[in-house]
Amino acid sequence: MNLRMNIRTVYVLLLSLFLMISIFMFSFFLLIPKGKEYRTLRLEDKKESRVLDASREEQNQLQEKLDKLEKSHKVVIKAFKTSFNPQKFTRLYGKEFQDLFLSELEMSDHNGSFKVYEVNATTKINSPETFYHFLDQVNHSDWIIGVNFPIHFEREGDLIKSSFTMKVHHIDEVKE
Amino acid sequence: MMYSFSAPRSKRIISGEIRLALFFFMISIGMVVLAYGFLTYRTQQFDEQRKSFGKDIKQLEHSKREIEKRILLIESAVKKSEEISTNNMVMKESIHNLFDLVPDNITLNKADLDKKSLILYGVTPNKDAYEFMLQAPLKSIFHRTYTSFYPIENGWYNFVSTNYLEDESVTEVQE
Repeated sequence: MNLRMNIRTVYVLLLSLFLMISIFMFSFFLLIPKGKEYRTLRLEDKKESRVLDASREEQNQLQEKLDKLEKSHKVVIKAFKTSFNPQKFTRLYGKEFQDLFLSELEMSDHNGSFKVYEVNATTKINSPETFYHFLDQVNHSDWIIGVNFPIHFEREGDLIKSSFTMKVHHIDEVKE
Repeated sequence: MMYSFSAPRSKRIISGEIRLALFFFMISIGMVVLAYGFLTYRTQQFDEQRKSFGKDIKQLEHSKREIEKRILLIESAVKKSEEISTNNMVMKESIHNLFDLVPDNITLNKADLDKKSLILYGVTPNKDAYEFMLQAPLKSIFHRTYTSFYPIENGWYNFVSTNYLEDESVTEVQE
């Protein structure tokens, strides 16, 4: 009887020992490394989440800045986007001059996003005042126009014949 | 006929103690396996989330670059527009000042204005009137001034006045 009890105890002990070793092995070789991986990934995840939030915040601020810029410079952006129309220009500014003749609309420069078209203009005016008025008006036109040298004035009877070059600046990419 | 005083009982392969031990160990193993399963699931979830975050960050970076490019473009467009507008105004003032310089008794027939030069063709009643009333102010503006006179039938003079600015002073009216 006594011997029987001992064998049973040893049997239980051996089984316990085997199961304990199994659990320890499982813990040390699988559970603990997995736990470490979990912890590392959780930290990295938090870090990435913070980076994402910061990035989102930055993007929102930039978008806000862009919206403000687009809103405050709507007219300029529209003017840069509008393709030059010689007929419309003549119709709008022909009234200023006795005679207005535009020629050679050609691209003279393509600097990055900006395209510059060169237009030669020949006009007849009553007095220089008309030309000053034209320069005032051209700053508020539908296009971005720069009047450039050389400018040639010549008397033709009571009128002044003037010829000059205008540069029309254009951008394709700007969103209105 | 009985051979033993004790009643026969069924023998079990697993005794009560072993069953108890096995029960507790099964619970332990179950808990450990469950913990492992939970960690594996969460690790996979974090990994997927991290990949998705990475993708989102890349997209946001791209979007930010596009917005920045657009902001730069608009800023440079606005700057260019202001420059052009200012140049037009400066040009207007320059031409205005030039015509204001010409006195009433001198008549201009032709004027060629360039960035660095001004050539005037006109008629003056006499050389002195030209020199005092037009050449003097022109000389104060331009670095080099040359004038040629051609007498005409009525005793007046046709003149050609050529005026140049040196390079460093050409700052006012530029493209």
